[in-house]
Amino acid sequence: MGHKLNVNGDVVDVDVSDDTPLLWVLRDHLGLTGTKYGCGGGYCGACSVHLDGAAIRSCQLPVSTLQGKAIRTIESLEQRHPALVSTWINNNVAQCGYCQSGQLMSAAALLDANPKPTDADIDGAMTGNICRCGTYVRIRAAIHQAAGQQATGGAE
Amino acid sequence: MMKAITNLSPHSPHSPEFSRRRFLGVSGVLVLGAALPVGRALGQTPAAATFEPSLFLAMDSDGTVRVTVHRSEMGQGIRTALTQVVADELDADWSRVEVVQAQGDVKYGDQNTDGSRSITQNYDRLRAAGASARLMLRQAAAKRWKVKVENVTATNHEVVHAASGRRFGYGELAAEAGRLAVPENAPLKKETEHRYIGKPVTHVDAGDIARGQGTFGADFSLPNMATAVVVRCPWLGGGVKSIANKPTGEPGLVAIETLDAAPSAGPLFAPLGGVAVVAEDTWTAIRVAQGLDIEWTPSPNQTFDSDELRVSLRASVTKAGTPVPGSEKGDVDAVFAAGGTELSATYETPFLSHAPMEPPVAVADVTGERCVVHAPLQDPQSARDLIAAQAGMTPDKVEVTPTLLGGAFGRKSKPDFALEAVELSKRVKRPVRVQWLREDDIRHDYLHASSAQHHRAVIDDEGKPTAWLQRSAFPSITTVFAAQAVQPAPWELEMGFSNLPYTVENQRMESTGIRPGVRVGWLRSVCNIFHAFSANVFADEMASAVGRDPIEHRLSLIPETGTLKQPGQPAPPGHELDFARLRHVIERVRKLSDWDKPRSEGVGLGFAVHHSFRSYVATVLEASVANGRPSVSNAYVVLDCGTYVNPDTCVAQMEGAVVFGLSLSLYGDIAMKEGAVVQSNFHDYPMLRIGEAPATQVELVPSQGRLPAGVGEPGVPPVAPALSNALFAATGTRHRTLPIRT
Repeated sequence: MGHKLNVNGDVVDVDVSDDTPLLWVLRDHLGLTGTKYGCGGGYCGACSVHLDGAAIRSCQLPVSTLQGKAIRTIESLEQRHPALVSTWINNNVAQCGYCQSGQLMSAAALLDANPKPTDADIDGAMTGNICRCGTYVRIRAAIHQAAGQQATGGAE
Repeated sequence: MMKAITNLSPHSPHSPEFSRRRFLGVSGVLVLGAALPVGRALGQTPAAATFEPSLFLAMDSDGTVRVTVHRSEMGQGIRTALTQVVADELDADWSRVEVVQAQGDVKYGDQNTDGSRSITQNYDRLRAAGASARLMLRQAAAKRWKVKVENVTATNHEVVHAASGRRFGYGELAAEAGRLAVPENAPLKKETEHRYIGKPVTHVDAGDIARGQGTFGADFSLPNMATAVVVRCPWLGGGVKSIANKPTGEPGLVAIETLDAAPSAGPLFAPLGGVAVVAEDTWTAIRVAQGLDIEWTPSPNQTFDSDELRVSLRASVTKAGTPVPGSEKGDVDAVFAAGGTELSATYETPFLSHAPMEPPVAVADVTGERCVVHAPLQDPQSARDLIAAQAGMTPDKVEVTPTLLGGAFGRKSKPDFALEAVELSKRVKRPVRVQWLREDDIRHDYLHASSAQHHRAVIDDEGKPTAWLQRSAFPSITTVFAAQAVQPAPWELEMGFSNLPYTVENQRMESTGIRPGVRVGWLRSVCNIFHAFSANVFADEMASAVGRDPIEHRLSLIPETGTLKQPGQPAPPGHELDFARLRHVIERVRKLSDWDKPRSEGVGLGFAVHHSFRSYVATVLEASVANGRPSVSNAYVVLDCGTYVNPDTCVAQMEGAVVFGLSLSLYGDIAMKEGAVVQSNFHDYPMLRIGEAPATQVELVPSQGRLPAGVGEPGVPPVAPALSNALFAATGTRHRTLPIRT
């Protein structure tokens, strides 16, 4: 079954069954492997992408529901959020790194909605993203830093 | 920023199999390794110490340095740290260094990324590799300039003759240096000369990861690759009896394959067996697999029940176990008979699953004459042997390349998932990726053992034990190696049980093993988890029984100087438990946490200290109970790991260990009924989330000059007891069972 999707600004056609979750469309059919499989149940956030600007769990979204929606993945994050990517690198936030695409997508959606988040705002927005290595304190610090850089014109 | 290579085609010139001779024949480059003895590291030599010049370091004529890392990256920063060591002694320009991931091969020596020992084992030999190459570059320049090598320096990718002002870039000398004999005793830098060792270098993979470009197991693919999802028997040792609804003609379905059942008892390294659904894409494989109606054959493990095991463990520590040889001091029974203030307590901990964020996954391609595997493996070398056997080939026909590991914590030291991919590729004659679902991961893990610990002591007026009886009972990891194994191995008891650092005149240690109906494995810090928990909480109980400050009390139990004489094998020289270093981390965490400052009502501080993996860690947690749940506001950790390579990585590992330790303290609980794991995903096997992560301060004891020790695991053991002790301080309730729910 053919589906037309808007991914990272490009319109692409995929031929998959209607119930295929966006996660597997991205990974298996579009070669966008930055989005990770972690649980398949919407519990861990490793598969987070943006749907019309909101961070959502791509493992929970059948491809048939995505007509006309703008999908963004980690592969296009740096264009819009260079400060977030650079603070993640400079703070050595990642340990194993597997959950970090999802963490970054949730962080970006947070900063889009709330350019100056408090610790409580961060904890609230990031609660759906598990990091088994335990990088949470650096995630908080990096989001604050990126927010500061964006506020001073370090990024759009 | 350093360019990192995470994946290499099997025949890439970056591949370590590419020989020195061939390098020289092609373009003339310096290639060098060091098979110098590991010497002081753990007192062992690597499994294979043959001299192979292209082992760890190669340099092209354009000056590009390639460092081969033979350990697996799972978040502990080893690809960065080992590269720092080589690049430092080479005095390389960091921006011109590339990292090459080694395949599994005996020529590297031990590749098992396990036991927090990659730096301990490889620090000296990798320094020597870098230092030898640097000397060879100086020698080559001296020869060209016809000057003495003593008058030639090599710094930051340049060789300089100061007197004449002449200089060469390293690359210009690579070919000539590569023709020189490798010196065996090249001078090493002084500590003050280090430019990367001891410095907080950004991880080589940080950029790729932050851009979604890192290659983890599931991100590697081959042309014409199929994906398989395997439905496994809920109980260990069961096989497929029948499939009631085998689908045919499903679009995208490639094959349905029945895999042989695993044995019901050790050795337990073979795949578990089951029904594999091989499809063109992952979702088709998942959908078909989830619709299968399979009847399984029985196994003796089908009656296994974790609650019954816990009853047995609890009962076993009420009676005498097997004495730890050489552990008995004085006459414990006489002191108990004489009476006095007696304390006794039993502590219990459950089974745990590793649950790395990346579930097991592997890609295999078996063709007529070769087998290629790319997978997140902690030990590609031992995996290669098992894979060769599964493929029916000799190991020289097998290439095993570790991808980045999306967490491992011990799970990926077992390559059962890679063996599944090999078997399926062999059958369907295509490259196959086996993708474990989260449910597969939780239900079919090598579980961290459940345990019961019993402590009994008579204490004096100052809370010091005059007699101490310790009992430990748990299913041993040795049960996965052999069908008859029962008793805990000495190395399991040396994880915080038979090597407690406290002065006691009358002491006895006893252990009891029990056979589980499940695969037992090692999880980050292994038996230290339950041993450190019980010993640290019991010590806290001694202090509170006499109203003493827990840290004052603990210091009073530890000698001022000297090293621990433990029962059994002595620790390797330089890695003995040093009482002064242990006391030092305690003193520092007291200061770091502002221990003596009164906290508000309902907020308590808890302290724990533990020596494991050759390192010393003292931890203080600040906790309270909010809405009926424990809440941790602050964590303070002091680490002495001897010489460290990347201090920021050490700090990060302690931060992560606090979170890992709190997850197991507050949530970790795997139950088994009728041989099957009850939990299945993060909704019923929860992890700590960001809002529960305490603000964390870490201090690293400057200890350059001491032997490098472990970092990945030793932060974990003190967390659970520090939490229990903090909650006691906050509420007066003593928690002796994990997880702590209220």
